[in-house]
Amino acid sequence: MRLILSDRDVRIFEHIPAPVEQILLEQGINPLEVIVSRNGKLLSEDTVIQASDEVRIIRIAHGG
Amino acid sequence: MPVCSLCTEPAVVYQRYINRHLCGTHFTADVELRVADTIKTRQMIVPQDRVAVALSGGKDSTALLLLLQRLLPSWEDVRLIAITIDEGIAGYREETIQSAEQLTGRLGIEHHCISFTGLFGDSLDAFLTGRETQACSICGILRKKALVVGARQAGVTKIATGHNLDDEAQSVLMNVFRGDLPRLVRNSSVDSSGKFIPRIKPLSLISEKEIATYLMLNDAWSELPECPYTRYAMRREVRSMLSGFEYKHPGTMLHLMESKKKIERYCKGSVISESLRSCLECGDPCSGDLCQVCLLRQSLDR
Repeated sequence: MRLILSDRDVRIFEHIPAPVEQILLEQGINPLEVIVSRNGKLLSEDTVIQASDEVRIIRIAHGG
Repeated sequence: MPVCSLCTEPAVVYQRYINRHLCGTHFTADVELRVADTIKTRQMIVPQDRVAVALSGGKDSTALLLLLQRLLPSWEDVRLIAITIDEGIAGYREETIQSAEQLTGRLGIEHHCISFTGLFGDSLDAFLTGRETQACSICGILRKKALVVGARQAGVTKIATGHNLDDEAQSVLMNVFRGDLPRLVRNSSVDSSGKFIPRIKPLSLISEKEIATYLMLNDAWSELPECPYTRYAMRREVRSMLSGFEYKHPGTMLHLMESKKKIERYCKGSVISESLRSCLECGDPCSGDLCQVCLLRQSLDR
């Protein structure tokens, strides 16, 4: 599964299927500080990600 | 795939503190209902109000303007305008101001822009040379003043800011860490003195993540740069710590806000609440001999 981070860095995540929350925690990311999408659709933290998925992580910038 | 607790559509959010999944449609409706309820319960907006939204162009103020614009038909004779403060932060503010101009243009909302250079004679970048670690407190004082000047020029009765639940909970903790009880119990949403324009915070019970989600679902999200001075801020550390607590113990931020309300009630009318005076230099309302802006100008030698 391809994981695209906010800084455009791409990582390959091997331990799948896995819920969004677990993937984020394994990357050291607090799920409350990001939003996750797949094919442009937002995902809840308990959505299970499959091997063929490409998931994008959007960091919520502070301020505004 | 998790589905919405209220229909059969795929869920886009999981509200941990109440163990509920929501689809995009129900989440949008939920946010709008909660904001409308906050405004109504706290009587933030009343008939004939002229409300200025402090619009930086970032996510929180963008969401606030969109939400208030949507709720506008439910209020009697209420008008919205937007005020943007250009502090003069190179490489950061230009993009958000452009975003604010586009949004107000699209919504047909009157938009005013006040710059630090026009009002105080120089940009924030210039004021902060050699004082970067004080960035947020200096910027906060000047920005508040600029907003009041803009609001007075526009003749508004309320100033609405985009402070969200995370911001408010962080402020509670920061005031406790600093031992600043007067600031902890200060309530600027009502004005019995007639000396200042009340400030309202309609998003104060909506989390930062919920605001970002709302914007994405409503095609209003744009990835904007973060202020370069946030790295000096104590708030950044508190934000990270509190976010970790909220994740491990859902509801922590709401509990902090409940604690603040209880402390406010206990302190009402006590000596802890500051009495309002007039600045000896400029006449603005303040709690000491000089207001914060005049004190700051003295220390900056301006």
